[in-house]
Amino acid sequence: MKKILLDARDLEHPIPLQLALNHLQTMGTNEYLYMIHRKKPIPLLEVAKEKKFPHLFYEENIDTWHILISKNNNFNLKELLDV
Amino acid sequence: MFNQGGLSLEQAPPISVVMRFFITASVFGVLLGIILFTNFTGIISFNQSNMQLIIVHSLALGVMASFMLGALFQMLPVIAGVVIERPTEKVMIVHGLLVVGIVVQLFAFNIASIPLLYLLAVFYLGISLLYALIIMIRRVLQIQDHSSSSKGVLFALSSFILAIIFGIYLLLTSGGYIDGVSFLKVKELHYTFAIFGWVSLLIVSISFQVVEMFYITPKYPAFFSRYLVVMIFILLLVKSFAIIFGMESQIITMFLSAIFIVYGGVTLHRLHYRKRPTSDATVWFWRLGMGLLILSMFIVFINTFTTLPNNIIFISYITFIGFALSIVFAMVYKIVPFLTWFHLSNQGYMEAPMMHDVIHPKKAKIHFKIHVAMLITWFFSALLEKADYLIVFSSLLVIASFGWLLYHLIYAVKKYNYTQEHTEKVEW
Repeated sequence: MKKILLDARDLEHPIPLQLALNHLQTMGTNEYLYMIHRKKPIPLLEVAKEKKFPHLFYEENIDTWHILISKNNNFNLKELLDV
Repeated sequence: MFNQGGLSLEQAPPISVVMRFFITASVFGVLLGIILFTNFTGIISFNQSNMQLIIVHSLALGVMASFMLGALFQMLPVIAGVVIERPTEKVMIVHGLLVVGIVVQLFAFNIASIPLLYLLAVFYLGISLLYALIIMIRRVLQIQDHSSSSKGVLFALSSFILAIIFGIYLLLTSGGYIDGVSFLKVKELHYTFAIFGWVSLLIVSISFQVVEMFYITPKYPAFFSRYLVVMIFILLLVKSFAIIFGMESQIITMFLSAIFIVYGGVTLHRLHYRKRPTSDATVWFWRLGMGLLILSMFIVFINTFTTLPNNIIFISYITFIGFALSIVFAMVYKIVPFLTWFHLSNQGYMEAPMMHDVIHPKKAKIHFKIHVAMLITWFFSALLEKADYLIVFSSLLVIASFGWLLYHLIYAVKKYNYTQEHTEKVEW
């Protein structure tokens, strides 16, 4: 499985969402998006939920959120979390 | 900490909800410019004793309330996780009654001799605004873990409810339906809650969320974002008790204006130290807005312990209006391109226009220049005596400012519809 890393902590809204959606649209089932953001990206999580993509978010601290999204139900996202 | 869930997109209102309010606000802005122009050139003779009311309410309800309600319907799900079910139906009711109510109210002020018009304005505006605010307040009250933004929004909405209730009293008095023994006190309460509570508190609350998010600025100091909105609301309540019981309230006004000056300074400081210092018109709108807020509140502050000339007081009104409009424009130029792109992209339109194709940043910069020119002409028309030609020119700039925005909002809607009708949708 291939990790698509997107560190969006220093990017202005809505560039993180734009980049994340671009990745999600083109991503294969053997890949997963690993996003690091300074906020909980509610619109992105809404999209993931609506598309029924397995997803997980984790608040490492007040400024750092880890968001994992895949198109493959067999991925264990908790195991892929890198904190 | 782990959560594999999230919110549903069903919670986000359709784009039409927001655009309906924003387009309406721009139309009322153009109308305001036409009213000013035709009045000062003598083309139409308005009721001069109520002219101030006509201008203030075209701006406060037609422009500001429309923009702010539209933005709230859109932003509440995002900033506070608030769910408003069936938003389209609710917004149709609120919007329809609001537009009719504003028009009826303006006719009531202008004709002044038809009591029924005041009663109809109470009916339409009362139902529309109270219905919208009660929907929002009920949802915000259900939030378990309040942020400083959601708390501030709650206080701002509560202030607006109070301003409306006081406004209803004033309209019923003007229509002769009640005797209005407390007219002057209620009038002061009405504008105190509308200006310091609804408009200012809402902008402060939203800024805690969006300034940092949009511009990657340092965070507001924790004590500041935690206590500022509570402090403002408590001072407003204390001020209203002082007004009701006929006590001296200038000291409260002094504190309130000082707080807003500090807030403006802190926000300018945050914007100056943003991580990615790109030159974007919306940053300039924010900077201008904060500068104008500081100037406006400085005049209010000075006026609490000395008597300033009327034209200087008038400048405090102009700068306050400039502050509120600058922030509203900054938000609109962020919200509209984002929503257009986001909704289309999420629906699977791979050829969805990018944000700068919806409203190009250069167009926002041109609007910023028109807006600044408008404010400068109003500023000098207040400062100079017998500057009628400047007022006429200022009125034309009001039309140009809102007309420019209206054109680009309609363009965004057309672009959205065109993409849906003429490009291919894919499942992803």
